Amino acid sequence: MFQNRAEGLALALPAALFAALVFLVPVVLLLSEGFRNADQWTLSAYVDFFSQPLNRTVFLRTLKLSALVTLVAAVIGYAAAYAIVSLPPGAKGRMVGLVVLPLMISPVARTYAWIVILGRTGIINQALQAIGLTDEPIRILFSETAIFIGLLQLFLPLMIISLISALENLPRDVVPAARVLGAGWLSVFWKIILPLTKEGLVIGGTLVFTGSMTAYITPAILGGSKVLMLETLLYQQVTVSNNFVAASVIAFILIVMSFAANILLKRIASARRSGK
Amino acid sequence: MIRRLFTPLTLFLMMLFLIGPFLIIVAASFSAGETLAFPPQGFSFRWIIKVFTIESFRQSFGVSMFLAIGGTLAALILGIPASYAMSRYRLPFAETVRFLVSMPIIVPGIIVGLALLRYFVIPVGMSVTLALFVAHTALILPYAVRVVSASLANLRADIEEAAVILGSSRLGAFFRVVLPNIRGGILSAFILGFVTSFNQVPVSLFLSGPGVRTLPIDMLGYMENVFDPSIAALSSLLAFLSIGIVFAAERFLGFSRYV
Repeated sequence: MFQNRAEGLALALPAALFAALVFLVPVVLLLSEGFRNADQWTLSAYVDFFSQPLNRTVFLRTLKLSALVTLVAAVIGYAAAYAIVSLPPGAKGRMVGLVVLPLMISPVARTYAWIVILGRTGIINQALQAIGLTDEPIRILFSETAIFIGLLQLFLPLMIISLISALENLPRDVVPAARVLGAGWLSVFWKIILPLTKEGLVIGGTLVFTGSMTAYITPAILGGSKVLMLETLLYQQVTVSNNFVAASVIAFILIVMSFAANILLKRIASARRSGK
Repeated sequence: MIRRLFTPLTLFLMMLFLIGPFLIIVAASFSAGETLAFPPQGFSFRWIIKVFTIESFRQSFGVSMFLAIGGTLAALILGIPASYAMSRYRLPFAETVRFLVSMPIIVPGIIVGLALLRYFVIPVGMSVTLALFVAHTALILPYAVRVVSASLANLRADIEEAAVILGSSRLGAFFRVVLPNIRGGILSAFILGFVTSFNQVPVSLFLSGPGVRTLPIDMLGYMENVFDPSIAALSSLLAFLSIGIVFAAERFLGFSRYV
């Protein structure tokens, strides 16, 4: 450890100044726009924002879809992570690699695939018509369902990875022991697996939830201009309505959500380090 | 019976959901037909070839490459000294510095882009290219600091103290002792930064201007107007590029140790 404070500060200063100048100051100024009216501080922009039915719908839809994606990702994530953890070491490593792989692919490419699958002439509609369930193509694209599917596919790997590391720390014998003593699978999950992997679930859950809340590409491609989420609403407010105050309100909501999630994650990480 | 089937069935369904759509895109990009469809009509390379002939893709690919390489290098030039200071010096305001440089990862990209546009780019009168460059540098900085910090933490501090005691200058010790030892971490940070910047959409959304756009933004615009398989072809090409880079990195550097 070197003691020269000035030298240390000189090394760190360029990065810190850069981040402050191009990042902190502009973001703070943008957020302050939502709290100012002429020369005084006010919450009227927030009252205005939430008084409009469209904005309320979008806000609630964003919360609802994010919560739903997180919930379903947790259910699938547990099944997938449990299956992966029970594989022999070599196969496990390859499987983890395959789960991580989609994270390296451009989200635009990953989301675009759903147009081919869910579109009017897509695979789902072809299949439905082939088996005679419907005569006309049904509309799946540009709906909440489409956004839900896209978000789930985008963020599921994060949940699986978090749960794999949690399940790997599960003591080896607890599940067989509970089974031998007569516990059913459901009570094994509720009473043993869930409490012991809670941290992994919270970490994965926060990543999926904030990821979904702040996603832009998925609702832009799969929701279209009608089924908006907060980020696409923000984009529309700026580019179509030129309403920077509303944009600032949305930005504040999104930032509060992200920071709350981040603080939660830090808490968990530090609780784990100190060995609780 | 059900127990025996659980593992393979779960894994199969999961992979179908995670990788399946990507395979469909790859298949669709070899289509011979005019419109995007699956199963593809016939087999040809026409859309793969067409991607290279579309002028705007060539331009935006250049912009994205420049931002990914230049932005990552700039982030490393800022980030390496900062990481070094945070790990080796008793730094006043260490937490503030850490918070500042890691914040762009927490704040959603679309907000970063809008704030930068309104309160920095426009007042300063910056060009579109420079604005994108600055934004991408800020975006990559947290990754650079995190990865380089991790590899500094794994390097014992006393070897450079030994070098200094034996008569090397502080700077000489850094370049001859520290830098060669964190080479793998720096390369990993570079790759992570490159992929992050290259795939980034929200930050560039507001900052892209007439004639200067990143490739993903260009793709979003193109797919709104044209419904042919060229986006599928381009998506597959890009995906294989990213996968190839990450694969090579994992093989030669043990990338996942740092990330």
